[in-house]
Amino acid sequence: MNRPRLFTLMLALAGLLLALLILLPIIALLLASSPGALLQLILRSEVQQALWITLLTSLLALPPIFLLGLPAAYGLSRINGKLRRILETLLELPMVMPPVVAGLALLLAFGRRGLLGGFLADIGLQIPFTLLAVVIAILFVVTPYFVRRCTLLFDGVDRKLEDAALLLGASPFQTFMRISLPLVRRGLAAEAIMTLAQGIGLFGTIILFAGNLPGRTQTLSLAIYTAFESDPQQAFSLGALLLLISLLLLTAVKWIAPQESTQ
Amino acid sequence: MSGLDCRVQYPLAQYELAVDLSVKPGVTVLLGPNGAGKTSLLRLLAGLAKPRAGRIKLGDRLLFDAHKKIDLPPEQRRIGMVFQDLALFPHLNVRQNTAFGLSLRRLAKSAINQQVETMLDRLGISQLAERRVTTLSGGERQKVALARTLITDPHLLLLDEPTAALDPSARGAIRRWLHQILGELQIPTLLVTHDAEEVAWFRKRVAVIEKGQIVQRGSYHQLLREPQSDFVARFAGINLINGELREQGNEKIFLSSGGSQLQGIFEGVLPGPATLAVAPWEVALFAVPPGGSPQNVIPGRVIERIVLGDRVRVTLLSTEKLVAEISLKAWQQMGEFGVGTELYAVFKTREARVMNT
Repeated sequence: MNRPRLFTLMLALAGLLLALLILLPIIALLLASSPGALLQLILRSEVQQALWITLLTSLLALPPIFLLGLPAAYGLSRINGKLRRILETLLELPMVMPPVVAGLALLLAFGRRGLLGGFLADIGLQIPFTLLAVVIAILFVVTPYFVRRCTLLFDGVDRKLEDAALLLGASPFQTFMRISLPLVRRGLAAEAIMTLAQGIGLFGTIILFAGNLPGRTQTLSLAIYTAFESDPQQAFSLGALLLLISLLLLTAVKWIAPQESTQ
Repeated sequence: MSGLDCRVQYPLAQYELAVDLSVKPGVTVLLGPNGAGKTSLLRLLAGLAKPRAGRIKLGDRLLFDAHKKIDLPPEQRRIGMVFQDLALFPHLNVRQNTAFGLSLRRLAKSAINQQVETMLDRLGISQLAERRVTTLSGGERQKVALARTLITDPHLLLLDEPTAALDPSARGAIRRWLHQILGELQIPTLLVTHDAEEVAWFRKRVAVIEKGQIVQRGSYHQLLREPQSDFVARFAGINLINGELREQGNEKIFLSSGGSQLQGIFEGVLPGPATLAVAPWEVALFAVPPGGSPQNVIPGRVIERIVLGDRVRVTLLSTEKLVAEISLKAWQQMGEFGVGTELYAVFKTREARVMNT
């Protein structure tokens, strides 16, 4: 007889408890709302505005994240040793920074009395408490995660394929565009959605750096915070809405993402 | 087209690679055990790694010169390389893989298509054009890799263990095919291998590399007769039967000094003194002479039998001395014969290579 061993039972128990921990609040949140309430919510103009700002800023952040992140990730995956570890540590800095602290740091860099404040005032650009600030906040927090995951994607590309392309006459740039990039395209599509999801959920950094101005910088996350003080029931419904959007994005990631490797 | 002249030094983990080599139009085989520095040498030539010192010249173009600080990047060297694992682009089909090199140049679409068709046709893989490369057999992949490289018109062709990744049953056919295709080209070609059998197909010019140094150079025949290192001596275990090639009407026949009449590959061999070479692993043993396809049959008596892991090495003496290497399983199925047993050694006509002496 093959009796389940004690250790196996312990593992199963831990897994079960974790599943409960994850699922219980999610179910509670979904139960606190109803399809009818959600529909009513979406029809309200201030909710539509918050939803619009949420999606717009996350989408606006996507191109700069790709433009900065992709070359950085590719470069990082092509170096080894000490330099790579130093650069990776630099990337991890924003990851370990509490979001609220990140918001403060951004204010001190781009705010009116910040490091670049004088320069920005000279060219007539005011960043804090604008839509641009929301985008910058997303950029600052999300890009390092994006770069780290993309570095792993590029690590999975066989160097031999790049060598082969070079020997067939391709320049390093052509090799990147025609071999390395197409090989990770599914992974990149998944990363793009992952990045959207992360941007949509951002709270602490935005509220400090961009403020909580309805119609201007108020995203869904911030709207929930505001609603919770006056009308908790509306906050629950908004929460369910945000949760549904996240679930939708997660499903998309799972659908697009390659099953195992990049090849 | 003139060839390659190189003199390179490059530190490896165990020793320093220090190679002085020239490659003329046609195939030069670089033979050496695993870890001798063969692949490293190819990477240096291709520009994928940088020599510590030396000079690489291809035709009248200087590709690398440590003194003059010349170091052309791989994409400007016009060197074609077929990697050991082929490195076909998995996201492109056979046609797109083949067209890759041309598509980087400013050429009209129609011109590219035309050249791709011609190349696929020439290598006999037109029917595979639309296939995904991941669905191809080992031999087919080999052909696509060569098509992709040849279409860029390289001035030097590097082949890294071209048949090592194939399963043994496909190896013979691909070797014959490669021999034929490379024979038609006049590109300086450096074929790297650790397989003695492969050398038997390209035996005019062979260089042996061991521990980063070229230790012997010459024809296959010279190598077998005067092995100058252990490694060469080991694969010199190939059977060599002396005799002469005779013409009888339209037929050619090899008559051994012991009096056996044998068939082999006689292409390009002139009547007169000759040697027939057959690898021990191509020799099968039978208790009764088999009929069927044209084969060489030599009866003899077992004078030595050595079990080496899952292989059994059997030496048979008759008018010739012949070494056969069979699987342990085959030996067991034949009743685990011992010294003194009378057997028939059989090998296929196309596995017997004949060369003039």
